[in-house]
Amino acid sequence: MSRVITITSGKGGVGKTTATANLGAALAMQGLKVAVVDADIGLRNLDVVMGLENRIVYDLVDVVEGRCRLRQALIKDKHFPDLCLLPAAQTRDKDAVTADDMIALSNQLRAEFDYVLIDSPAGIEAGFRNAIAGADEVLIVTTPEVASVRDADRVIGLVEAFEKGHPRLIINRLKPRMVSRGEMMSIDDVLQILAIDLIGVVPDDEQIVTSTNRGEVAVLDRSSRAGRAFVEIARRLAGEDVPITVFDDAPGLLNRIFGVFGIRARGSER
Amino acid sequence: MSFLETLFGKRERSSDIARDRLLTVLVHDRVKLTPDMMEQLKADLSAVIARYVPSVDAGAIEVTLLRGETVDHLKADIPLRRTPQKL
Repeated sequence: MSRVITITSGKGGVGKTTATANLGAALAMQGLKVAVVDADIGLRNLDVVMGLENRIVYDLVDVVEGRCRLRQALIKDKHFPDLCLLPAAQTRDKDAVTADDMIALSNQLRAEFDYVLIDSPAGIEAGFRNAIAGADEVLIVTTPEVASVRDADRVIGLVEAFEKGHPRLIINRLKPRMVSRGEMMSIDDVLQILAIDLIGVVPDDEQIVTSTNRGEVAVLDRSSRAGRAFVEIARRLAGEDVPITVFDDAPGLLNRIFGVFGIRARGSER
Repeated sequence: MSFLETLFGKRERSSDIARDRLLTVLVHDRVKLTPDMMEQLKADLSAVIARYVPSVDAGAIEVTLLRGETVDHLKADIPLRRTPQKL
């Protein structure tokens, strides 16, 4: 049974596209057939995050308007043959597609893939509504900051109003050391405010910047703490019971001992 | 020296401030009471209460919206002036 999952957030810049690319790759690593769809018409980005920008011939709007077949627009990933990208149009705007188009497209993709992940645009306007129109379930990305959590609360209300069930939450860019100093809201603080189920916590990780620079997803890099968090989230999405790990960058005992000698193990767990 | 300040209770943890501000802002987002409406509500409340309790201190009434577990609360704190009792 295929699943169509939309990743959204309300606020921009909290990591929707990075989450979509990494979850797509992590699900493909499990041997599943996955399509990732960039629904941010006019502000195409998922292609550059995945390093596929040079392979685009057709896009989502071309499929919707019948200029090509779906299969012609799908781009195979560099690393995972079972992972495909359907890019957004860059020269059109959100009015180029309707909610019905997105439902039809989702159903077409369902026939070919186990998972369809839709990267939603920021905001709560037509683009967002189109992005969730064909979804079976919704994941909300938030960072532990007031503006992001406030917007997440608004979006959760809308997702429920559109009868997309109870969305699940990804807390992104958590800084465990700031949390322990009382300088950043904790996982519990955010969950208490938003009152939804948590599907995973992704630590703030500078390696996301370098992997995005290269057009590689972080899940390929075993030393990336964010990458490991996305792998865990993908396993939970697929139904596995995986306890939530907060991949901390705080020095553990071994690191503290080696730290004296200037050596530091990478990605200690907590 | 934010850590020492926190330790000695000089400064509230910024994460607690963030959480409390969010709790307030979200309940206001939902209930849609503007600051103007809150002021009007306070004025109306004091007028009604003054009909029963003349010592109500109209300027000191505090009305706050609070987020609860399952329901939100509109909480009014209505201070009464202590007038010296006549013998």
